[in-house]
Amino acid sequence: MIVSEVMTTKLITVTPDDTLSHAANLLRQYQFHHLPVVTATGRNEWSGYTGSGQNALPEFQGLLTSQDIDLAAAMGKWSSSEVLHRPWQERLVAEVMHRASIRVTPTTSVAAAAQLLVERGLNCLPVVEYEQAGQDDGGGSRPVLLGLLTRSDLLMALARSLGAFEPGMELMIQLLPGDLRPLAETLVLAAQLHIQIRSVIAAPQESGVPRVATVRLGTINPAPLLVRLQEAHIQYTFAGSLTEGDGHD
Amino acid sequence: MTEVNANRRARLLFDTDELHYDFGPGHPLQPTRLVALMDLLESAGLWQSANEQDRLPLRPATIEELGLVHTPDYIAAVQSLSLPVAGEPSVGRQGEGEHILPTHQADSQAQLALKYGFADGDTPALPGMHEVSARIAGGTLVALSAVMGLPEGGAIASENERPLHVFHPAGGLHHAWAERASGFCVYNDIAVAIAHVLRASEAKVLYIDFDAHHGDGVQRAFYDEPRVMTVSFHETGRYLFPGTGDVLELGNGIGRGYSVNVPLQPFTEDDSYIEAMDALLAPLVISFAPDVIVSQHGCDTHAWDPLTHLSLTMRGIQAQIKLAHQLADTYCQGRWVAVGGGGYDLYRVVPRAWSIVWAEMSGQLLPVSLPEDWVARWRPAWFGVEEQEALAQQAMGKTSVPANFPTTFQDRPEDFSEQPRRWTISRTNRHTVALVRHLLIPPSVRQAFPSVQNRSPLAGLFDLLHLRGSATPSRSKTLETQKGTLLLRDFCPPSLIDRLTPDVGLRAFARIPEREHQLLVSIAKRPDCALTVAHTQSGEIVGEVTLAPGDEWWEGLENVYEVGIEVSSNWRGLGIAKNLLAFALDLDALEDIILFAMGLSWHWDMEGLGLSVYRYRELIAWLFASQGFTEYPTTEPNVRMEPANVLLVRIGKRVDQRVASRFLSHLLSSPNLTGL
Repeated sequence: MIVSEVMTTKLITVTPDDTLSHAANLLRQYQFHHLPVVTATGRNEWSGYTGSGQNALPEFQGLLTSQDIDLAAAMGKWSSSEVLHRPWQERLVAEVMHRASIRVTPTTSVAAAAQLLVERGLNCLPVVEYEQAGQDDGGGSRPVLLGLLTRSDLLMALARSLGAFEPGMELMIQLLPGDLRPLAETLVLAAQLHIQIRSVIAAPQESGVPRVATVRLGTINPAPLLVRLQEAHIQYTFAGSLTEGDGHD
Repeated sequence: MTEVNANRRARLLFDTDELHYDFGPGHPLQPTRLVALMDLLESAGLWQSANEQDRLPLRPATIEELGLVHTPDYIAAVQSLSLPVAGEPSVGRQGEGEHILPTHQADSQAQLALKYGFADGDTPALPGMHEVSARIAGGTLVALSAVMGLPEGGAIASENERPLHVFHPAGGLHHAWAERASGFCVYNDIAVAIAHVLRASEAKVLYIDFDAHHGDGVQRAFYDEPRVMTVSFHETGRYLFPGTGDVLELGNGIGRGYSVNVPLQPFTEDDSYIEAMDALLAPLVISFAPDVIVSQHGCDTHAWDPLTHLSLTMRGIQAQIKLAHQLADTYCQGRWVAVGGGGYDLYRVVPRAWSIVWAEMSGQLLPVSLPEDWVARWRPAWFGVEEQEALAQQAMGKTSVPANFPTTFQDRPEDFSEQPRRWTISRTNRHTVALVRHLLIPPSVRQAFPSVQNRSPLAGLFDLLHLRGSATPSRSKTLETQKGTLLLRDFCPPSLIDRLTPDVGLRAFARIPEREHQLLVSIAKRPDCALTVAHTQSGEIVGEVTLAPGDEWWEGLENVYEVGIEVSSNWRGLGIAKNLLAFALDLDALEDIILFAMGLSWHWDMEGLGLSVYRYRELIAWLFASQGFTEYPTTEPNVRMEPANVLLVRIGKRVDQRVASRFLSHLLSSPNLTGL
């Protein structure tokens, strides 16, 4: 899985010349915490490369977080320094934003991005692509903003991988170390019975191999499959096992 | 208005064409269950197909009506898939030849099927399914329109002839999504009918889903619609289709608080189920004040059902039906539409369960025994599927008691073995119910409907306030306002509240002043609550403050009381709230207790106030600050859900330090969310 599959692409952005009060309003209105700062867009809201003209590609300048604004507001209250005598609402985004130099590209693997977020204690990564700038810009490359990857995006990706947004029910298949045959047989049986599989997860445990596979079945009628599993001596866990759990002691 | 008249106003909607909703042999949903039902109704003399007074004609829903819920591309796909394909053995009815598609189109048909949810064994595409599904949707639409007095319900001679209750057993296809077939459901007849009522009238609709599966399609259709409250009692989605229906699915945007989900444990039995229903439905109906109730009576909750893990018997199923009827009669002037739904023990459960629906609706008493000739006709049908059914039950983990074909309408207790984990299951369910009550029922309503185990656990301590029940002298005080003189009274006895009348603007919780009044009477009757009111000299209540023990969320904490306050919308801005609160809290025991008040933005009458929510939040904080309350951060799920919500707390000076710190740490824990 790569970043472009899970990132947010409908972005609300600000420019360096916007005021903090404008930015604070946006954050409040949309209820999120990060605003990418870009130049060269005429609009606040855009989605991918829908703009026209050469200047439509937004160059990424940095990030403004709600924390940055809180800090600016607090300093506006307490500091006596000359520069800060303006009310914080009138200060410009460019003065407060940070460069967000840790960035990813659309083809970065989701695993690498997740590790970055956790290790650096970040909540959000800008997704950029570097493009060659024109001669009059003095050459070099400029970052073009393609999306944002937040912790929420990763959580939603996880839920999606679990098939949580599709109607269905979960079945756990017991596996022996290194032997995925029960899972394969389950899938074949499901296909024979025309039962849709919403998702399959067989993640490695501490030993490095999967011991259980979670299969989300897109059916309201699991009994025929369960009967076939029993006939094939495939171990599954299900609500029924709860009864066995403490019912017999 | 006698029994006879009441009977006349109940109708049953059934059309033999609906039996074409048939996914073929081997499919769990068999239309023969409806044949068995109609046969039972006729043999038991409960309904006569010849009797015009009992029935209501149906017509198919139009494309435009289906489009109220379903997307145009989905409807087009269903129509296209309804045409039989050459070379493929079609299930159900054979096509009429002229509509058969050439084989080369079969591929694109298969893609359509995959995209719109017909590719699996659950809801296979079948010839004519558009027509039959539209017919079923039309049936529920006609039923609801008739009850609501809309023209689509058919011509009715006079208002007194209008049907009050209608039962449409073929309806209840609650899993269909706007753009996808799912779980045996093609068109969502319930959602189509409700959407039609929303469009054609100002009415508010309460939908109660008793099916063992979560009513996901109906919930999705109205997830951000505050005029429809969907309430679903179902087996938890952890092991059961469709996997959704968590307590925290509460609705979205202005629809927040109008989706109610009660996920019950696998193997839940009658008593626990009834307890959950009783604790929730009446207060929900009061706080929502619907104009009509639509109930879905999927009877796959029964212990014999091969598709689910719930373990009800006819006793629990009958309790659902009676409660729906009683709520409709008490709160919706009788307007009630019942539909069928799931139910896969086709011959032993479905005919009996839905006969009970019709008997209840039409005010007829059920005989004890099933008609012998009916049993003789249908027992062989069950023998045909018995073995398969037993296997399926066992695969689902249900303990099977060797059972026979029933001969009575009710179940015999000896046919069901007690669940080994009954106690744990009931406890977990009680916990779930407490959370739902806490999240969705406004404080005054909750206080008027105390849950069983919560009945004054701290009555002894509350004597501090009460100095023994009726002997408590009720204080009074006059308050001069610009609109006239008000009398403030505390510890109001029920007799006093009974004599007073509610001001027309007093409706923050029950939405209708008369019901708000009823709530106040109920609260006054509780020995562990204190009620303070402000009323005019002519006896109109214009404001109230309630003081009641904290609800289940605060379980285990001592001396914690919730304060609720309301002032009639006609009497705001006169300083009544502040004076009334100060008067109500002028107590000897004030410093011995912890008081809290919760401001939840979805209960606020924003239109009536003309303020922004944040402004109103400040107003509340300021009002309570005048009595020494301060705002506390908390992980309590209701307060956390909206930034506008607020928790205000006042810890009395003489409160034991340990008690106070236990309270404070409770604010930041989330004990009731674990395990859900």
